[in-house]
Amino acid sequence: MKTLIKNILLFSTLLITANILSGCYEHFPLDQDITRTQNTFLNQDSVKVEFPTIIKDKITLLAMVYTHCPDICPMTTHNIHLIEQRLPAELKNKVKFIVISFDPNRDTPAVLKKFAQIRDINFDNWSLLSGDEQNTKEVMLKFGVKAILTDSTYDATGELSYNIIHTDRISLIDQDGRLRSNYKGSTADLDMILEDIKYLGE
Amino acid sequence: MNLLIAFLMIFSNPSDKIKIVDPWMRVGAQGQATGLFFKIENNSDKADTLYKVEFEPAGLVQIHETYDAGNNMMGMREVGKIIIPAKSTFELKPGSYHVMLMKLKQDIKKGYVGDVALYFKNVGKIMIKVEAKEMMMKQTMEH
Repeated sequence: MKTLIKNILLFSTLLITANILSGCYEHFPLDQDITRTQNTFLNQDSVKVEFPTIIKDKITLLAMVYTHCPDICPMTTHNIHLIEQRLPAELKNKVKFIVISFDPNRDTPAVLKKFAQIRDINFDNWSLLSGDEQNTKEVMLKFGVKAILTDSTYDATGELSYNIIHTDRISLIDQDGRLRSNYKGSTADLDMILEDIKYLGE
Repeated sequence: MNLLIAFLMIFSNPSDKIKIVDPWMRVGAQGQATGLFFKIENNSDKADTLYKVEFEPAGLVQIHETYDAGNNMMGMREVGKIIIPAKSTFELKPGSYHVMLMKLKQDIKKGYVGDVALYFKNVGKIMIKVEAKEMMMKQTMEH
């Protein structure tokens, strides 16, 4: 009889644990550790930083952009900015915003800083990163971001001009450095992202 | 005679045939690029074509289209012109057709107002004043 009760208790415990775990998996489609490798970048002030060390213990929204983009990348950046403005007070210091350029040749730290300043972005919670080709490619691979150069031409001054076809994405990383969700960047559902951030912040 | 001239001027005013509605440009930093958006109302009985745009603070101005390149990727390409059929409205908007203002010679900050020249095949040149915003208010509200 005792063995039967023990088995029932054990089975119930397993069932409850499974339910809790499946609940987590249902809420977020991804659970990918991004802390296994580090990449070196310069931030908007040309200070060398290690990513993802700079987001340690923070909930993070990340987007990869290029500043010569007149449409999609500014929309994505603006959406992240709107999310920051709508964060509840108790989460304001728990969330970090990272923008990494996949066009580092043109997007120097100074260029990224101007891109942010014209949009009134506060660097207390934001970092805009520019890196070398290797580090940039590794982070793109980590976040499944693709960027393909197109329409390359030399203008009258001999300067190379090009557009980039690119992944349109905002990524959510939890406090433990795990990628939990990807969203469309330029047409993001801000309510959904805010709910997911609140879920992680609980 | 004066009345006749005034009458003719009213009816030859391009803004009667082509009306530009809700123009705005996105903020942009010196040396970088940004987008210009507006609606074109063609009230005439024949199609017209927007083929050139001038904005003095931009080193290069092109008419572009943002398009879905598949696999969650977005691209952008020059289209050169936009044809607006008779009695119709064409909207240049984020994520779609836009005027790309490149090689900005100055910062275009929130609240900046600049003169833009739009060139149409039939009605000719139309000058508009355009204010810089981070994003059009309606789109912000829609989120």
